[in-house]
Amino acid sequence: MRVTKIKEIIRETERIRTFVFEEKVDALPGQFVMVWIPDVDEKPLSLSKHKGDLTITVLAQGPFTNKMAELKVGDKVGIRGPFGRGFKIIGDNLLLVGGGVGVPPLAALADKAVEEGKNVTAIVGAITASELLFVDRLENIGARVLTCTDDGTAGKKGFTTDLLRDLLQKETFDSCYTCGPEIMMVKVLEQTKAKGIPTQVSMERYVKCGIGICGHCIVDGTGQRVCKEGPVFRDIEVEKITEFGKYRRDASGTKVYFRNR
Amino acid sequence: MVDISTKISGIKLKTPLMLASGILGTAGTSLKRIAVFGGASAIVTKSLGVEPRSGHKGPTIVKSIAGGLISAIGLANPGYEAFKEELDIAKEGGVPVIGSAYGFSFREYIEVAQALESYGASAVELNLSYPNVGKTGAFYGKHTELSYEVVKAVKESVNIPVFAKLTANVSDIVKVAKACEEAGVDAITAITSLEAMKIDVNTGRPVLGNKVGGLSGPCIKPIALRCVYAITKEVDVPVIGCGGITTGEDALEFIMAGAQACQIGTGILTRGITIFKKIAREMEEIMEKQGYRNLDEIRGIAH
Ligand SMILES: Cc1cc2nc3c(=O)[nH]c(=O)nc-3n(C[C@H](O)[C@H](O)[C@H](O)COP(=O)(O)OP(=O)(O)OC[C@H]3O[C@@H](n4cnc5c(N)ncnc54)[C@H](O)[C@@H]3O)c2cc1C
Ligand SMILES: Cc1cc2nc3c(=O)[nH]c(=O)nc-3n(C[C@H](O)[C@H](O)[C@H](O)COP(=O)(O)O)c2cc1C
Ligand code: FES
Repeated sequence: MRVTKIKEIIRETERIRTFVFEEKVDALPGQFVMVWIPDVDEKPLSLSKHKGDLTITVLAQGPFTNKMAELKVGDKVGIRGPFGRGFKIIGDNLLLVGGGVGVPPLAALADKAVEEGKNVTAIVGAITASELLFVDRLENIGARVLTCTDDGTAGKKGFTTDLLRDLLQKETFDSCYTCGPEIMMVKVLEQTKAKGIPTQVSMERYVKCGIGICGHCIVDGTGQRVCKEGPVFRDIEVEKITEFGKYRRDASGTKVYFRNR
Repeated sequence: MVDISTKISGIKLKTPLMLASGILGTAGTSLKRIAVFGGASAIVTKSLGVEPRSGHKGPTIVKSIAGGLISAIGLANPGYEAFKEELDIAKEGGVPVIGSAYGFSFREYIEVAQALESYGASAVELNLSYPNVGKTGAFYGKHTELSYEVVKAVKESVNIPVFAKLTANVSDIVKVAKACEEAGVDAITAITSLEAMKIDVNTGRPVLGNKVGGLSGPCIKPIALRCVYAITKEVDVPVIGCGGITTGEDALEFIMAGAQACQIGTGILTRGITIFKKIAREMEEIMEKQGYRNLDEIRGIAH
């Protein structure tokens, strides 16, 4: 556990903030850190930059993340990690599909891919215009960005998977990367599989130890640990994860089924 | 040819190297993976209670000195009923599955143990020793009489072998072990993690969400070894050594101290899930070199 200070806080949307810390990292896009707020809790959060100042982007949605939203520049937090397996860049023409707070690790991936001279197309979706994340950041590094919102307030009205369907009718890609609601990722995989595009998904499960010892982040089918063998899995692995798109385990290990499909 | 197979309470083990409770043991698929891919000769489930428990707030784990971990998961578990189907999957691993049980009362221990028996567990290990939850384990394992009574109560309620897992955070672990033996225990597992804590000097705050936790890993091995040595000297039931076992040499030390078998937990951190296969190979190599043919030949020779 290292303790570091918050250097900068950027308000991305009403409920999403980016925190930049005094500590440096050199990691893989898709890896995560455990962030400790003393006397509060410790939770897993993805790196939204793979290199340089340690940076995370957080959606306030519960006790811990709401507390994060109250933190100020100069406040101290503890960091463990980076942990897990990140995205592997394959080919030259990459497609990223991100929904909501799934976009941060993909933005880190886009940075690295562009650094390596790859072409990046990103489909970014959100519920409404004000929640769209990192569109400017992605455009600024030279990525082609296609946006959509559930309510049509920005980009195309509809889901990322609708945009994806249209896009894949006209173009193809060397590989695809997706992070966001699991139901979305299930549909992305269906489409990319049909087109034969190798795809990597970033999965979320209840992470406690973060180092592969406690077993709380296990996925059924393979028994793999999301914190160790994940959070990024390849499509051929996901096919063997029988709980993908169906359920996840909560803090006690009790199965919680995803709503609607 | 060196033979490292062993037997505990009639349960055949292809090696003495079992998975310890609470390590990657909250789901059947995980337990199965440790058996099939990791090579564990038996797998112990996470300690299960009557009700689901979410456990302590984070951090639940912090690294300590010399490869050690301090953990305070807080007995997070889905409750025994959820484990009916998990145990079926775990059994596909093809090795004996041992159910770990904890309770807040004798009745709860009995309820969980009976359920585990009905789900097909090969044995039940009573977690008398878990130091993190105020009212349960520490409460039983730290009192000789309560340990005696809970073992006796469970023994009278199930037909499968009953193991008692002890804590070394007592003035005399041998006394507790003897009490368990008198109560009819089939085997003793020694030891669980040792009470410990970590304070962050930048903030002056305890790091673990629960403030205190249990120390495991290589740093507790000498303590665990001495406990096994002391217990096997005075007690006839088999003892399963646990605490910091990371190499073949470690495992052999425990056998020479008198242990019937070993359990491995934190070692997975440094050596991966296949630690069970690695340690087995290392044990065989050392034994071959020294001319030992089997474990019976060297068990307890340090006495
Ligand atoms: C590998 C990984 C990377 C993540 N990256 C990000 C990120 O970049 N940005 C972001 O905003 N969020 C990210 N999350 C999700 C983030 O961890 C949760 O939003 C946070 O833990 C919620 O805690 P809470 O107390 O605010 O809310 P709660 O009300 O406790 O929970 C809200 C939701 O988060 C889930 N959750 C709670 N605790 C955990 C936990 N320990 N592990 C996993 N899920 C949990 C709950 O199941 C629930 O669905 C990531 C999760 C994982 C596993
Ligand atoms: C993360 C973690 C969780 C544990 N959970 C349990 C548990 O639920 N029940 C139990 O009897 N012991 C539990 N233990 C203790 C271990 O089974 C073992 O006795 C201890 O860690 C010492 O062995 P080791 O050094 O090989 O890890 C846990 C240990 C760790 C590190
Ligand atoms: S969170 Fe503990 S094993 Fe992944």
